Amino acid sequence: MIRAEPMPAGVGLGEEMADIDVTGLVKRYGALTAVDGVSFAVEKSEVFGMLGPNGAGKTTTLEIIEGLRRPDAGTVSVLGTDVLAHPETVKERIGVQLQATALPDFTKVREAIELFASLYRHARPTAELLAEFNLEEKADAYTDKLSGGQMQRLTIALALINDPDLVFLDEPTTGLDPQARLNIWTVIEGIRKRGKTVVLTTHYMEEAERLCDRVAVIDRGHIVALDSPRHLIAQHAAGTTVEFARVPGLDAEILRRIPGVDRVVVDGQVSVTTRTPETVLHALLDPQAPWARPAAGDDGEGEGMIRDLVVRHGTLEDVFLSLTGRSLRE
Amino acid sequence: MNSFRALTLNRVRASVRDRTSLIFTLGLAVLFMVIFGLLFGGNGASIALDIVDNDHSQASAAYVQQLRDVNGVTVHVKSHAGAFSDLKDDSVNAVLVIPGGFALAAAGQGQPQQVALYQAGGDTSTTAIVDAVVANVTAGFAGRGHPSISLGAPQAAAVNQITEMDYMLPSMIGYIILFSGVNYVAIGLVEMRVKQVLRRFRATPVRPGTILAAQVAGGMLIVLLQICVLVLLGMFVFGAKNYGSWLLLIPPVLLGTAAFVGIGFLITSIAKTSEAARALAAMVTFPLMFLSGIFFPMTGLPEVVQVISRILPLAWASDALHQVMNNGAGFSAITTDCLVMAAWAVGAITLATWRFRWD
Repeated sequence: MIRAEPMPAGVGLGEEMADIDVTGLVKRYGALTAVDGVSFAVEKSEVFGMLGPNGAGKTTTLEIIEGLRRPDAGTVSVLGTDVLAHPETVKERIGVQLQATALPDFTKVREAIELFASLYRHARPTAELLAEFNLEEKADAYTDKLSGGQMQRLTIALALINDPDLVFLDEPTTGLDPQARLNIWTVIEGIRKRGKTVVLTTHYMEEAERLCDRVAVIDRGHIVALDSPRHLIAQHAAGTTVEFARVPGLDAEILRRIPGVDRVVVDGQVSVTTRTPETVLHALLDPQAPWARPAAGDDGEGEGMIRDLVVRHGTLEDVFLSLTGRSLRE
Repeated sequence: MNSFRALTLNRVRASVRDRTSLIFTLGLAVLFMVIFGLLFGGNGASIALDIVDNDHSQASAAYVQQLRDVNGVTVHVKSHAGAFSDLKDDSVNAVLVIPGGFALAAAGQGQPQQVALYQAGGDTSTTAIVDAVVANVTAGFAGRGHPSISLGAPQAAAVNQITEMDYMLPSMIGYIILFSGVNYVAIGLVEMRVKQVLRRFRATPVRPGTILAAQVAGGMLIVLLQICVLVLLGMFVFGAKNYGSWLLLIPPVLLGTAAFVGIGFLITSIAKTSEAARALAAMVTFPLMFLSGIFFPMTGLPEVVQVISRILPLAWASDALHQVMNNGAGFSAITTDCLVMAAWAVGAITLATWRFRWD
């Protein structure tokens, strides 16, 4: 059935038109500015990640784009339609998975799919979705009896029920065990293979690195960086990170004076970034260094007071650290 | 399937599966009927009898004494007016009238006399027992040399005697309207909001009004389903009777349900958590349950309390249900009740829709 759609905002641009175009988005809750001037575009068929700690404004941004919240300022165009003016038109063509499970109680898997199917003009057949998401055996189980992975598969299936062009997944793997996470990654890669545009939020680095074409790093309502994971790492996580447990008497000031040290972050542990790891490691592990000697009253086992030492190459975690001075999972 | 129908069906189905909540609504209503059934419907454990002695003789006193000696029979000698007033109040099962000239007849002189037994219709098991007891004693009395004394044909008093069960059934319909109506929507809708189910529905193209309308409609259907089950149980298990028109029950049941579903809906605009919704629902339902004549007639309540409960909709629902089912009243007797409930329903649902918070 062909319906009259409101005139798309970017008509004439054809395939050049972005699936999502956000400019100057602001959302305040009282004194708190949850989203503070966010602008970005998501291209067709790309997997776009939003990376940031809890409370960074990822979900709020997502929900404004989905037409669930109204911004205090800014414009949002989704699939060529102004969301703020025509939210129902947009909702017909997007798929949404919320961070919360958000399913009614005492409902079986098949019933949940049929219920959501009834909310759209066009919906895919229930049997097809059950098969695609490997939920056939659970079709007559109550949704609250599903495992974490099955539940996520169901909520993703519900997000795809109207065969949308654009899918939003809010922390699709949070709280899952590694195997279930891997399974969901395969599911998301399947969605991308069918040419759909995916926007996902996460605070898992591996997830963003593996799945996303581009990642927006979000902190305190701002986008602090936006690029492909590889470019972000190359630009912002240059070098090697040496991490170890905090040592009494070894503060950030002393560390910064070690030749070759680019950056020092002390939070739960100590992270030292350098492009000359050999020199820095040598200095850190020097038995003559002041911090290598046991303090008075120590039990004496203190040769080399640096413990839990890990050396690793740059990741998005370092990008976040480098951009915000804080680690992601604080 | 149409969105509204699918959302409503989902709500009703979930509620039917929610056994814990069913226990507090339908389950408790049935339990109340069982308790009252055991307390009052017992098989002849006790019979209360008022005797009007128009003879005041030794013979009539001896006859009364013989009735008094029957196990399980309580006898009071009363004036004519007093006795029939007791019968009207249901405080006795029957009235026995001893005619003047009883002593003469007992002595074999004068006219043969009949004692007359007045019972209200209604509870047939009790009626039969009273009949049997009185006939037995009278026959024994006559057999011992008083041949001219007999028991007259049973006479129904001109009172619509209601059994406890007849009174309890409309009361329990009121109870379900109150508890299911308020709780299912108040708690259900707040939980859907807290668990972001409402938000998830809003991420689909369905209209917000459809989501809310389906919740209200679903809430009403749950109440009506429970009432159907209760009425069937009440009639076929507890032997309750409806002296009025079934058709006339529909307006008070629908309007009462709408009023309380509306009040439940209103609670969702105040309560932020499902615990708060539960507490608020309890604050509304428990006082109402005792102040609105569903367990005992309101005439026993103090004036002030009666005024308060006259403002709240349950008293009107209870009145209408009892009027129809117990007194066989026509629509004119329940018009005011229905209008008050309709006003509550429209007011509460309008206010709740206006004040509704999606998150």
